[in-house]
Amino acid sequence: MTTVDEEDAFEAIVIGGGLAGLSAAYRLAQAGRSVLVVERGASCGAKTFTGGRLYTYSLRELLGERWREAPLQREIDREVISMLTDTEAMNVDTTFADPAGRSYSVLSTPLVAWLAEQCEQAGAEIIPGATVTGLVIRDGVVRGVRMGDEELTSALVIDAEGINPLVFERAGLVRRLAREDVAVGVKYLFKLTEEEVDRRFTTSDRRGTAMLGMGAVTKGLFGGLFLYTNIDSVSLGLVVDSDSWREHGHSLVQTAEDLRQHPAVGRYVAGGELVEYGAHLVYEGNVDTLPQLFGDGWLIAGDAAGFCINRGFTIRGMDYAIASGIAAGETAAAALAAGDVSATRLSAYKARLEGGVLADMAKVRGAHHWMAHTPDLFSTYPALAVGLMRDMFTVDGGPLVPVRSTLTGTVKKVPKKLSTALNLVKGVRSL
Amino acid sequence: MRRMKIDELLSATTFETDEHAPHIVIDPQACRTCPSGRACEISCPAQRYRWDEANEVMTFDHVGCLECGNCRLVCDRLFTGAEGYSWDYPQNGSGVTYQFG
Repeated sequence: MTTVDEEDAFEAIVIGGGLAGLSAAYRLAQAGRSVLVVERGASCGAKTFTGGRLYTYSLRELLGERWREAPLQREIDREVISMLTDTEAMNVDTTFADPAGRSYSVLSTPLVAWLAEQCEQAGAEIIPGATVTGLVIRDGVVRGVRMGDEELTSALVIDAEGINPLVFERAGLVRRLAREDVAVGVKYLFKLTEEEVDRRFTTSDRRGTAMLGMGAVTKGLFGGLFLYTNIDSVSLGLVVDSDSWREHGHSLVQTAEDLRQHPAVGRYVAGGELVEYGAHLVYEGNVDTLPQLFGDGWLIAGDAAGFCINRGFTIRGMDYAIASGIAAGETAAAALAAGDVSATRLSAYKARLEGGVLADMAKVRGAHHWMAHTPDLFSTYPALAVGLMRDMFTVDGGPLVPVRSTLTGTVKKVPKKLSTALNLVKGVRSL
Repeated sequence: MRRMKIDELLSATTFETDEHAPHIVIDPQACRTCPSGRACEISCPAQRYRWDEANEVMTFDHVGCLECGNCRLVCDRLFTGAEGYSWDYPQNGSGVTYQFG
């Protein structure tokens, strides 16, 4: 049994003050445990970056009704899926009458900064501007962190370093993140006014739009665009598969600029002032390539653990960061109360996630592979969709073409008809 | 819409840069024999890597790095930590400092 030492500076140390780390720290502080968060940014939120959409169920689980005080942007009531050629787009555009607060656009810096305040009020300590450079490991048990020459010990450590978990990778406790398992995303933030966002997206009352698009914007490679409306700004971004981009890509920055020039997309941000440009990796691996999730004296949560699901039409990372942070914090608090931080005891963390993110990831384990190896998704299908719409809506005084002929004509343009159809069926099963 | 160059894009973002301590280190000469197809050039979202054709060296500027980690994965030498190559986070709260995130 790995027990708790009275000499420790803290009962728990959390590496990384993002959504996962702070959620864990909040639960530990609520349980009356002494907890320190070490954050490498000048303040919590300085290093966080998101596309910009949060599914709120886990924020509710963390905070109860106080989740409504969190600095969120617009309540998403409109979902747009866009298929694009170089110059045109076909959208599926759906507005929901009762979004029920399920999802909001967010800017992660103010959200994380606010959550850090809640943690401090609950009794957690936070050291910002400090980078963890290594771990204190005694007899195979993680017993604290090193920051240069300084050593801080604790009964257990929660790793919430983010998508590049350098400290735990170097300690050999988790597998190395591989480029086959990530995508790279860039995002522009364009400032408008609240009235102008309302006008461009024909909305009001801080209701918002989420758009995901695929097609020529990624030059035929796996990836897509996202667009979220904030209160008085618009987030526009591009995500591409890291490995295939490395092999076949073009300049990522030029491609992002091409996206901004796309007539069906650029008009939403035209004239806005660019107030931030940033980038972040997105975990795209499946449940089988996740790292070890716990060990003697440690747990790993959030992006560092690879908790992210991209199904093409929904992208979830932040909700899993909070949910896994809650699970890590509660598991850690119970282990500390029992005076046992052994891997056996901490395996309760994984057992708990098996009812959540791990089950979800298992259900879509083939999705990334299928999307990454089905280039038709990013070239052929969008072109067919746009072409069909163009044919249907073209009235130029020529002979009328029955809908069945338009459809037949479109189907005839499908290359490798059978394999494409079979592959689609296979893919839909993986999602 | 007017196209923007990377320096203009990055000027919108806040950096607290430690000019003297690059957190990522490469060997500009050794990059001549790149086994990774100079993937860093096209894959870096901040375009920090540029191949200098005249002098046959890779130039890298850590100022303006967005710390995403993509080069750490697409460059085989950074990935394996080959001699002369290393990837760390900036220290003491320096580096990219998002205002919106």
